[in-house]
Amino acid sequence: MIAPAAIMIFLFFLMPVGLTAIFAMTSMSTATGISGGVWQVTQGAVNRLEGDMPALAEGIAQPRFVVDEEGLAALEALKLKPGYVIELRAEHVGEVFPSRREAERVIKALKDRPSTREVKQISDLFNRSVLNTRFESREALVRSLEKLGFKLTPEERDKVATATYTGWVWTTDNFRMIGNSPDMAQIFLNTAFYVAVTLLLFNVSYALFLAVTTHYMPPTTASVFRAIWLLPRITPVVIYVLMWKWLTWDNGFLSLLMGQFGVPPKNYLLDNSYNAWFFVILINGFIGASMGMLVFSSAIKAIPETQFHASEVDGASRWQQIRYIILPQLRWPILFVTCYQTLSLLASFQEIHLSTRGGPGKATEVWSLAAFHTALNNYTGNLEYGLGAAMALVLVVVGLVLSLIYLRVFRYDTLISKPLIED
Amino acid sequence: MSEQSKVSANFSSLPVILLLGLVSLPLVLMYAYLLLDTVSNSEAGSLIPSEFTLEHWSFLWQMKPGKPNIWLVTLNTFIFASCITAVILIVSSMAGYVLSRLNLPARGFFLAGVMVLHAFPSVTLIIAIFIVLQYIGLYNSLVGVILVKSAIDLPLGIWLMKGFYDTVPWEIEMAGIVDGASRFAVWRRLVLPQIKPAIMALGLFSFLTGWSEFILPQVLAPGAHVQVLSVYLASLIADDNNFDFATFKAVGVFYVIPVLILYVFFQKHLMNIYGGGTKG
Repeated sequence: MIAPAAIMIFLFFLMPVGLTAIFAMTSMSTATGISGGVWQVTQGAVNRLEGDMPALAEGIAQPRFVVDEEGLAALEALKLKPGYVIELRAEHVGEVFPSRREAERVIKALKDRPSTREVKQISDLFNRSVLNTRFESREALVRSLEKLGFKLTPEERDKVATATYTGWVWTTDNFRMIGNSPDMAQIFLNTAFYVAVTLLLFNVSYALFLAVTTHYMPPTTASVFRAIWLLPRITPVVIYVLMWKWLTWDNGFLSLLMGQFGVPPKNYLLDNSYNAWFFVILINGFIGASMGMLVFSSAIKAIPETQFHASEVDGASRWQQIRYIILPQLRWPILFVTCYQTLSLLASFQEIHLSTRGGPGKATEVWSLAAFHTALNNYTGNLEYGLGAAMALVLVVVGLVLSLIYLRVFRYDTLISKPLIED
Repeated sequence: MSEQSKVSANFSSLPVILLLGLVSLPLVLMYAYLLLDTVSNSEAGSLIPSEFTLEHWSFLWQMKPGKPNIWLVTLNTFIFASCITAVILIVSSMAGYVLSRLNLPARGFFLAGVMVLHAFPSVTLIIAIFIVLQYIGLYNSLVGVILVKSAIDLPLGIWLMKGFYDTVPWEIEMAGIVDGASRFAVWRRLVLPQIKPAIMALGLFSFLTGWSEFILPQVLAPGAHVQVLSVYLASLIADDNNFDFATFKAVGVFYVIPVLILYVFFQKHLMNIYGGGTKG
């Protein structure tokens, strides 16, 4: 009976995680494709070779002309004057010309005097440039380079092959990039700031405030407030963010309201990074508050009422009740919500993606959003699967470590009891 | 709770209610205007609506250029959410029972694993899943995204069901076993009826999360013929050429109404899950 669950979990959790780890070690992107690649001497590859082998780079970037059997056969097929072929075969076979001009000078000097148009036609047949030609295998590339008169040592061959390969390769560059790039450090700081502030202000403090205050309210009032604060959680995220946009955009509520006082309209969500952060934290915090509210409310409800009655008799004020009765007994729920919400906040990016898209600039880009943008959704169009997977892998590791710690903290073994029926 | 508020007269709750009301104001305003703006027009620069109109709802009977038919999209969303509900209910009610009641090798490990998976950031999976679905040809199909979404919600479902099974007294099963029924029959006939409210709650919850899901369909099935409402609405908003908040809101209300109805009627069931349920 557990097989369906096990299969689905394997297929859509374990396998993707494994694959993420594998992709993280590659340079896959839209440019390389996800299946194999070909060998192609592009201008980019030439630039890459320039540093190590300037002579070779110079050479393969130029057109080359070789008088070979292949070209002669093609010339015969053109059915021009037969003298051309005979003379070229007899006198010039195997010659390599580094430029079109030199090749054409030789062709022009043929005894049958080809016309200018014919010279062009003939020289084209002997054009053996490798620039922008696609080779299906490494050997084909090396062979045609050798035909052109480039003598390569095995190491040089390796270098040329690496530089011209268009498919993905195994690499650890992704992790090096994550470790070294200042952008990544900024994103890391953003994430820490976002998680810490949202968690402290809303998911714990404000949720606690809601739970305690609604606890002391008449039940109808309390349930109205609870219902209001559950709305952000049940509202589909696209609409929820749409409402915030309406509140903050330059033709939205805040602008109209401020317009009554003569303030010109502006986009409060994206005009500067402080406002962007302010609203990003509000948007996420309003959703996050509800879980803490519910958990804390039910925990407060579980406190024996006699404790409250006794404290009333002793003349305790509300504040003293909260300080000495409620808070001490909420220690575990608070710890639980903190742990749980840290993970959800680390993983959440939909709200930020829909509201600020990490903007203005990259001010509100957090780790999970950056991974998503890198791998699946960006304006430049080059989706870097490898780098995105590496970033995601960092999140996986952080999540795993954190949740293992939590399982330890909450004494996981107490959650599972032995079955009573022995099979 | 009610007795307490009567007993404790040493404190007035009015200031607190006012304060909470003030903090809740943005939410209330946003919802009020969400509903109001779909059926009214207001003059430029004014916040008070001046006329009643249904023009913003015209998307229901007029197709937007370049966008799929709204009814097809709604149907897709319904199929999407229902299938997710069905898959989650069936799979997790079986797995939850096994984990709660049967002596399974590595049971504790499996449970811990499920717990850890529940905490997994979905973005870590989505990149690999995207590439996997493209390979096996389920990219841009409802089936693929349904399977993925139900799998991602499965750990929570299993833990919830396990928690609910834990509350069913053993005596019922003992009686069944003594009478010679198989474990499957015991589960099907005796235990399952005991946790009907739990199934109801989990079903509702799954339907709502399926209905609301955005990022998975957006990434895995963005095509016009398999679009769901969240993707449709997001693409409307992202389209800079036809910027019209009132229409966005009308589509939004159309989209959110089923959620609100379910929420109003089944609030109690849902609270079960949104609150303590996650503790398993």
